[in-house]
Amino acid sequence: MGKNQPGYFGEFGGRYAPEILTEALEELESTYQKLKKSKKFKKELDFYLQNYVGRPSPLTFAERLTKHWGGARIWLKREDLNHTGAHKINNAIGQALIAKFMGKKRIIAETGAGQHGLATATVGAMFGMETVVYMGAVDVQRQNLNAKKIEMLGAKILPVTAGEATLKEATSEAMRDWALNVSTTHYIVGSAIGPHPFPTIVRDLQSVIGKEARSQFKKQNHKLPHAIVACVGGGSNAIGMFHAFLKDKHVAIYGAEAGGLGPKPGEHSATLTYGKTGFLHGTKTLIIQDEGGQIVPAHSVSAGLDYPGVGPEHAFLSQTKRVDYRMVTDEQALDCFLEVSRIEGIIPALETAHAFHVARDVAKDLGKKKDLIICLSGRGDKDVTEVLRLLGERSK
Amino acid sequence: MSKIKDLFESGRIKSAFIPYFTLGDPNYNDSIEFGKTILDHGADILELGIPFSDPVADGPVIQRAVARSLKNQFSFDEIFRVTKEIHHHKKETPLVYLTYFNPIYHCGIHSFLDRAKEAGVVGLVIPDLPFDTKESETLFQELRKRDMDLIHLVTPASTKKRIEALKRTSTGFIYYVTSFGVTGERREFSVDLKERIRFLKDTIQLPICAGFGISTPEQASQISGYADGIIIGSAIQRIIEENGQDFPKAKQTLAEYIAKIRASIP
Ligand SMILES: Cc1ncc(COP(=O)(O)O)c(C=O)c1O
Repeated sequence: MGKNQPGYFGEFGGRYAPEILTEALEELESTYQKLKKSKKFKKELDFYLQNYVGRPSPLTFAERLTKHWGGARIWLKREDLNHTGAHKINNAIGQALIAKFMGKKRIIAETGAGQHGLATATVGAMFGMETVVYMGAVDVQRQNLNAKKIEMLGAKILPVTAGEATLKEATSEAMRDWALNVSTTHYIVGSAIGPHPFPTIVRDLQSVIGKEARSQFKKQNHKLPHAIVACVGGGSNAIGMFHAFLKDKHVAIYGAEAGGLGPKPGEHSATLTYGKTGFLHGTKTLIIQDEGGQIVPAHSVSAGLDYPGVGPEHAFLSQTKRVDYRMVTDEQALDCFLEVSRIEGIIPALETAHAFHVARDVAKDLGKKKDLIICLSGRGDKDVTEVLRLLGERSK
Repeated sequence: MSKIKDLFESGRIKSAFIPYFTLGDPNYNDSIEFGKTILDHGADILELGIPFSDPVADGPVIQRAVARSLKNQFSFDEIFRVTKEIHHHKKETPLVYLTYFNPIYHCGIHSFLDRAKEAGVVGLVIPDLPFDTKESETLFQELRKRDMDLIHLVTPASTKKRIEALKRTSTGFIYYVTSFGVTGERREFSVDLKERIRFLKDTIQLPICAGFGISTPEQASQISGYADGIIIGSAIQRIIEENGQDFPKAKQTLAEYIAKIRASIP
């Protein structure tokens, strides 16, 4: 696998996983290549996306928010209306179908905010597959509603206590499980990260978001939007939203990453701003690390953005400057969470609230009569308890 | 000739004993003593772990060792200092590093290799750097220039095609991963272990050393009957974990264990 071979986005991407996983990754790659071309697979996937997930998700004009912010017209791509409440289900269904095709009876996943764990547990229940979800012990606490739902769906949650006990450790543990059970198990990676072919598969499965948004907007407005915005954790909803627009050179693209508490190492998850090229969880990408090449713990108010790496395609899009990635602090995200809830009647996920903050600035800069689409990656039910706790702390 | 090749071709040993432990656990200075103790009691090659925060190929025992090591301020200066001290204690025993690729890359491949060689290291094992990557090619070329070895891992899942392909860039020995999963002590090994090792020997003209899961003298004795070497990590690390606070006891237990394993190998 050389620099210009599949699986690389510029210098980023590739396959840097333990040898024990190589066979499974090659099998996954060749299976996926076949399925991608198969009409039957496409039909089956479309069937579930329509009849189970509830696609297409609406593209909603946010009238009140537009007025309130006083800039560009705001449109929302409503991934929060999907079954299980986030974009994660698009990927989980697709990968579960791939797993089924490969004859794997057991699926595992890592989860931060719990949305990917929930999506995996859901498809596990629907397809009747044994499901195990790795979740950092800290995240089991702060995203307890999702943890409970995952168990109710019949999946097993294995809390991970190593390190910071968040998404990074959950990912490592899922990789270890996969190494042990690789012949019976498919690892449904939850974001556009990991060794090739995961970043490509996840991107393809999520690109339904951008494709729909682009054609919905075009149909309603007979043109393309001026800008699009999405939040970036590992970067799956963002790459899904961005992909259909990458070639539209006049559409400005923005990614929102977690600025956390501030710029000090350990206080944020702003990989694209502060990361350096490195190798983590099977891929070459930008990573927050120290002088010794040790990974620095990430922080974000939103469990789903709390990851020190990022999908390799985003690292590439950042390097080529096709996408403008900006940091949003915990405080700014929290404010947007409340603002959007009150003004628009939609409680967004804390992850998505980061995208709203960037969108507000961009909308102001663009000015009136311009159009901006935000990928509303998920709804905020899961965050209500945590937000109340944070507001309590703030008022002290 | 590389030092490892020399060892295997010298006829001095029938099967090599290759212990592993993580540098810096519980602290860098104790590491020096642990290294010396292991060398004194019978290591043929010594594998030194450079800690990495996210060791995805390692089981709980080594994960905890790495976490303890990283509680000390990690620095390459310390790593090379400690390595040098261990090397000076017994210069004829080849030292190899086991680490993940990120720290090496971050240090800079040239600078890392120059300093590692200067510290007495003659080979590298990198569990997350597959041979068919550009970085592995580069590393291999640079190692060759310095007469150092790149030791590849082969697993029960590696196909014939891959094994054929990795021949070109393997030197020293092959690290045969005896079982699926991560490092850690195990009671049983796959039934075809012997056949796999024989097949590997026939395919790759290099010594085949088996690791992942070996801990008892009985296992060591049995597997060294057909492998060119055995690698033990977790069992050693457990001794350090259980006795690390009581340094004399840790040293003593380690010495006894190493001697026992060495004695069980032909
Ligand atoms: C609602 C929501 N949005 C965004 C994310 C971030 O993930 P990604 O960057 O892969 O879209 C998550 C992750 O859990 C999430 O739950």
